Amino acid sequence: MVDAARHPKIKIKTYTTIDRVEGYVGNFEVQLREKARYVRADKCNGCGACARACPIEVPNAFEMNIAPRKAAYVSMSQSVPLLYTIDLEACIHCYKCVEACGELDAIDFSQEDKVSWEDIGAIITATGFSHFDPSVMPEYGYNRFPNVITAMEMERLNNAAGPTVGDLIRPSDGTNPKRVAIINCVGSRDKRYNPWCSNFCCMYAIKNAVLLKQMYPDIDISIYYIDIRTSGKGYEEFYNRAREMGIRFIQGRPGLITEDETTHNLFVHSEDMTLGKVVEHEYDMVMLNQAAVPQPDADNLSSVLNTVQSPGGWFMEYHPKLRPIDSPTDGIFLAGACQGLKDIPSSVAAGSAAASRAGRILHSDKWEIEPIIAQVWDDRCISAQGKQCGICAKACPYGAIEVEVGKAAKVFTAKCHGCGGCVAECPHNAITQMHFTDAQMLVQIRALLAEKPEEKIFAFRCHWCSYGGADLAGTSHFEYSSNERGIRVMCSARMDADFIYEAFRLGAGAVLYSGCHPPDCSYITGQRVGAARAERLQKTFEKMGMSPGRFRVEWISASEGDKYSRVINEMQKTMDSLGKDKLKTEIDALKPEMEKRARRMYDAPGVTEASNFSDQLPITLTTLKVDDGK
Amino acid sequence: MCYSCGTCVSTCMIQQKLEPEYNPRRLLRMVMTDIREEAFESPTTWLCSACDLCYPACPQEIHISGVIGAVKQLAVEAGYTSALETVVVDEALCSGCGICVMTCPYEAPHLIEKEVNGVMDRFSEVNAEKCMGCGMCVAACPIGAIARPGVSNEDVASQMRIKPQKENPSLVVFVCDWSLRVDEDMALLESYPENVRVIHIPCSGRIDPQMALMALDSGIDGVMVCGCAPGECHFKRGNYISTCKMSLLDRMFGQMELDGGRVRFVQIGTQDRGRIRHEVDNMLTALYREVA
Repeated sequence: MVDAARHPKIKIKTYTTIDRVEGYVGNFEVQLREKARYVRADKCNGCGACARACPIEVPNAFEMNIAPRKAAYVSMSQSVPLLYTIDLEACIHCYKCVEACGELDAIDFSQEDKVSWEDIGAIITATGFSHFDPSVMPEYGYNRFPNVITAMEMERLNNAAGPTVGDLIRPSDGTNPKRVAIINCVGSRDKRYNPWCSNFCCMYAIKNAVLLKQMYPDIDISIYYIDIRTSGKGYEEFYNRAREMGIRFIQGRPGLITEDETTHNLFVHSEDMTLGKVVEHEYDMVMLNQAAVPQPDADNLSSVLNTVQSPGGWFMEYHPKLRPIDSPTDGIFLAGACQGLKDIPSSVAAGSAAASRAGRILHSDKWEIEPIIAQVWDDRCISAQGKQCGICAKACPYGAIEVEVGKAAKVFTAKCHGCGGCVAECPHNAITQMHFTDAQMLVQIRALLAEKPEEKIFAFRCHWCSYGGADLAGTSHFEYSSNERGIRVMCSARMDADFIYEAFRLGAGAVLYSGCHPPDCSYITGQRVGAARAERLQKTFEKMGMSPGRFRVEWISASEGDKYSRVINEMQKTMDSLGKDKLKTEIDALKPEMEKRARRMYDAPGVTEASNFSDQLPITLTTLKVDDGK
Repeated sequence: MCYSCGTCVSTCMIQQKLEPEYNPRRLLRMVMTDIREEAFESPTTWLCSACDLCYPACPQEIHISGVIGAVKQLAVEAGYTSALETVVVDEALCSGCGICVMTCPYEAPHLIEKEVNGVMDRFSEVNAEKCMGCGMCVAACPIGAIARPGVSNEDVASQMRIKPQKENPSLVVFVCDWSLRVDEDMALLESYPENVRVIHIPCSGRIDPQMALMALDSGIDGVMVCGCAPGECHFKRGNYISTCKMSLLDRMFGQMELDGGRVRFVQIGTQDRGRIRHEVDNMLTALYREVA
């Protein structure tokens, strides 16, 4: 940290928040709010005279509130840069600090938040994690029994720079505990609170146990666990060392802690699975190894950065295996536990990786993107004709479209990721997506429904999830109806209502509208745009009198090949139960309405030509003779 | 899906108080691996009273008593029977009023019609597979037609005799078998001198207000009923029933302008280690003041 502070090209801004992020990869503009410290950074030399003079004491959050700090404080002694801050909520304005600061004159109560805009090329998010508060679990009695402490409190208690100078004492009476229990998985691997495994707590429990054992050789330590996970280099060896040192490992998650009210000793009730019976051991102190949870303001930061969060609230990566450092927004990277829980080596590796990914952007003049971006036909956009619209901008998850009345909508190419939501939403066919134009889609639909359309199940699949699901169903040899015909679009947001009408107009037996599960969408909110449209379509078809099940909406992830095959088979069953004749009558009855609705699509440039072309296409395909030379 | 953490076993009272072989985790394992016969014979299948102490504690949110109930159902279908001590209806006394049917948390008693001496009559019949032996129906029956061996009204009454001592007030403590989680607390209760008589009952819902009145009538100075904390009753709603009964009794004392403090109802939770000592001491002090 000190090295970073000295580096000529590194600026460290502490006590600063990010309020807004505008622009795109390589050209971000970031609004920073440097909060008022009431201490001038250019004058403060970190001597601490103000803190010594300050008469106010408040709980010290860095010491897990087990020690006090002054209202004039520095969050921890190793802070870089070493600047004091006045906590105005606690300050009584006695101005003793001003007196103590004397000629240095660093204290300035007139300071206000400083807001500034900075040009930024790439952003790395490394906001880390927070801790689960075990006081919501009544069974462990945290906050009620004084000698039940959390792992972070233990960390301060046995730290040589901590409030007790490394002397482990019981909060109830200040004596050294002789018997200590460590309970793992407090609030993690627990569906009631956090379903995930917090990754590093097993090693952390072992580390603390070994540390205590080295400090107090006659201490008796037990670790209660469900499973011990030591899957890193040298970790299993460390676990073995702990066992050889005489640390007791008890397999069994305690269900209850009770306290003796006179001695404040604790009784941990658990099953000892190896013995197969309930054991009740007495301890002087219990440490709860609490779960790691996302930072409380992660939601806020996620919306400022325009990125997505995975289930649970961690920042989502572009691809869980192949691009774990990149966020779905170009130019924003994720390092460390804010993306998913990591121990120190993995966090360091992720940090280096993020820095090198960001360096690629800073060192290049040009940035290559996928060519599937959206483009606006200026003459068709009604905004250019002075009308209020902006539907495309609302559909865009990246804020890549700017709409101003009197001018045609403008797509910022560098920001567009090619989900196609705007294209499908535009009511005037004024936007197209390169490589996924209406004409190209139409030709595909026509070709696949050229023969016996009433027997076909037409599937629209999103590139990232349901297409992968279909692929997995194939490679895993999950059998599904051979009547399925599918096409790929980038996102369910691109699945234009016109395509569905066209498929039904051509006489498709059933249509599947499939995409990602809501939190998995690779285009941030693309799935929501698609899902809203699917809901509207479902209502429309219901009103039209279409048999239920002919239009089906399913969210299928790339790992759900079994679900894909099940859905297709169910759709086949629905069609079978309707019967060919009934299906045919229904298709014919709905055809005029579908034709009316699909007509809008033919207005798009190139669609009529494509339609004329595709009318001949199936005939050529089927009559093509194979000349194998015989 | 159970990952065998053992939380259910450590919260369960049965394994601690009744049957060391009782283990819901192992039963879930048998269910997952489809070991049928052993599961049907396991005491876990038959002893679970669906108190659901384990359900809110389970990190996988498994409704364990529901699973055990299903196993029990299968076991009954396969011809296995419960080994529990169940209640017995004396048909000579039963009037077929149906109060027991309404009281039972397990739907064990039901009314049947049977011909006796040429006349059709209604009787209560208890389904032995469903009865958990809590004795709530015994307390509820207005004519004493139901009995549970060991804790019938006569058995309880015979335990209530304390030789009156001049200086020391006498106290009867009805203690629910399940309410004191820690063995030390039970031992402590037993260690009081002769003037404190401890009577074990299967559930505080077994308490008949008449018992308390009988005790006071026979010259005993105070009655304490010790049950489980709300939501922790071993027999689903026994402590709720006893709460109603005791507050009714309290109101009755009020109407008769008698001192209601002579009958107390305390609810001890699973984490209230050592609380029973305070409760008994407090009551004794209060009684002592009164006697003096």
